[in-house]
Amino acid sequence: MAVFTRTTKKLIVRIDEFFDDIDLGLLVFREAWKAYLEKDLTAFERHLIKVDELENKADRLQREIGNDMITHSIMPQHREDVVRLIDMIDEIIDAAKSNITELDIERPEIPPALADSFLGLAGTSANAGEELVPAARAYFRDPYIVREKLLKVYYYETEADKTAIELKKRIFREIPELDLSGKNQLRYMVNNIENISDLAQTAADMLSGMAIKMMI
Amino acid sequence: MILLFLASGLFLGWSLGANDASNVFGSAVGSKMVSFRTAALIASVAVILGAVIQGAGAADTLGKLGSVNALGGAFTLALAAAVTVFVMTKFALPVSTTQAIVGAIIGWNFFTGNQTDTGTLSKIVITWITGPVLGAVFAVLLFILIIKIKKISRIHLFRFESIIRAGLIITGAFGAYSLGANNIANVMGVFIPSFSLDTIDLRYFTLNSSQQLFLLGGLAIAVGIITYSRKVMDTIGENIVELSPEGAMVVVLSQSLVLFIFSSSGLSSLFVRAGLPPIPMVPVSSSQVIVGCVIGIGLYKGARNINFRILGEIAIGWVSTPLISGLLAFFSLFFMKNLFGINVGQKGSPADPVSIASTVQSGAAVSQIFLHLLASIILAGIVATALYFLFEWRKEREFRKSEKRFWENMK
Repeated sequence: MAVFTRTTKKLIVRIDEFFDDIDLGLLVFREAWKAYLEKDLTAFERHLIKVDELENKADRLQREIGNDMITHSIMPQHREDVVRLIDMIDEIIDAAKSNITELDIERPEIPPALADSFLGLAGTSANAGEELVPAARAYFRDPYIVREKLLKVYYYETEADKTAIELKKRIFREIPELDLSGKNQLRYMVNNIENISDLAQTAADMLSGMAIKMMI
Repeated sequence: MILLFLASGLFLGWSLGANDASNVFGSAVGSKMVSFRTAALIASVAVILGAVIQGAGAADTLGKLGSVNALGGAFTLALAAAVTVFVMTKFALPVSTTQAIVGAIIGWNFFTGNQTDTGTLSKIVITWITGPVLGAVFAVLLFILIIKIKKISRIHLFRFESIIRAGLIITGAFGAYSLGANNIANVMGVFIPSFSLDTIDLRYFTLNSSQQLFLLGGLAIAVGIITYSRKVMDTIGENIVELSPEGAMVVVLSQSLVLFIFSSSGLSSLFVRAGLPPIPMVPVSSSQVIVGCVIGIGLYKGARNINFRILGEIAIGWVSTPLISGLLAFFSLFFMKNLFGINVGQKGSPADPVSIASTVQSGAAVSQIFLHLLASIILAGIVATALYFLFEWRKEREFRKSEKRFWENMK
């Protein structure tokens, strides 16, 4: 019996740590974009290292959670769902890290007129991911409130979509000093940022289904 | 020779273990909440304890239905019941050992011209109905209680699951104990009048003649659990309604409570002291009670969840089992008596000790066999448990090593 209790405690701590990392990773992602747009490359690189560390830790935790759930046969009926959800949430921080890494590699020239819009898009997209975390935490304690918590994820995802379309329009229509390759590069960046909210929405859809399963 | 006559009872015990243990641990093993090894180990120990400690009550009632006064008769009707259970299980038909043995005893009564005690029979048949109903009531009440606690406490899902897992093991052990206590009468009850063994004194406790038979029967049930119940346990979760782990725990607990109630003489005398009617000590079909419990939860969740086709099959089984077993016993007794010339019993009052023919009077030798058997079981149990924990520990250590290697390679 002690084995069960110890494993359960460890698992609860690991899941909480995992969500903390995702939360923190998205916060650092937003800060990294802010530092880049303000041309504070020292801060940007610091944030890049932090996101990398958090992503690695999240990967490790994800694997440990999956292993523990399988080896100790925890929640056998919902295990696949939980492991899949953790995997989907991990993809969010993977996308954030990949976006910041590409930003570091490519260092695109972002016209000052678009800086606020880029920051806004990064913020909204990160918000969608951040709002997913409390909903996912709620799944483990109070599945009845998961769906109402997910409303914010859907809201931010829609906002991120709108901002991304608006931003792409401005890139191609309002910035004549950028050549086509520069515009393409920025569009690619926009798509990558927007991808975070899309991943959050996909995970939210799954979480919503999982919550319903727990309620019936 | 004694063991040869007991073989049919042991076969019935084996069938009961293979079949009915799945009622106790089936949902837990089927839903992968408890491993089969753990379930088999706990169920085996608990079923033997239940049979030896508390098996007498229900056996007395079965004795009143028809006191089989010849070893050949006891052998034949235990065989008829066992064959009925085995064949119906083979064809995946729901079957109750209790009904099979009751049917066989009535078959013996018909054959030997003994009167079937209608009072006892009606007492038994009534519990076939009240058992599942009581199980359903317990299941619904306990289910509501657990769901309410879960909602109010906002307990973490993993912690809740850990409690449920522990609950499944505890209630499973209780269920196996109750199964042993209540259903050992089906396995060994018919042999009691034919056996009179020396009491074994083990210093701290004694084993009388019936208890020695119950120990043997309990062992047969345990062997049935270990060798053949896995398949049934793996598939039971898919039957009637799909159960959540908390539902599974409630079902097992409710079933154990019902079985315990109908085999606890202490509880019955408590009822009498409180001015209530006594609880009949009757062997109840664990399969039927579990069906009642599952239907109770199914109805509470909405009738849509219930698989009515399986329910229909169960209902047919309830009627056909005693009939088939009774007919089989009747014809087998006919062949045993007329073809092999074996004494299968005669007309006589069960209370009259003179009428008990061919009673086995054991010398010290049989008691010694039992004593050695008991020592071997305890020793084998200790060795099996130690090996189990050793293998588990080694598996865990290997896994941790491989994980460590994985992360070292990742660096």
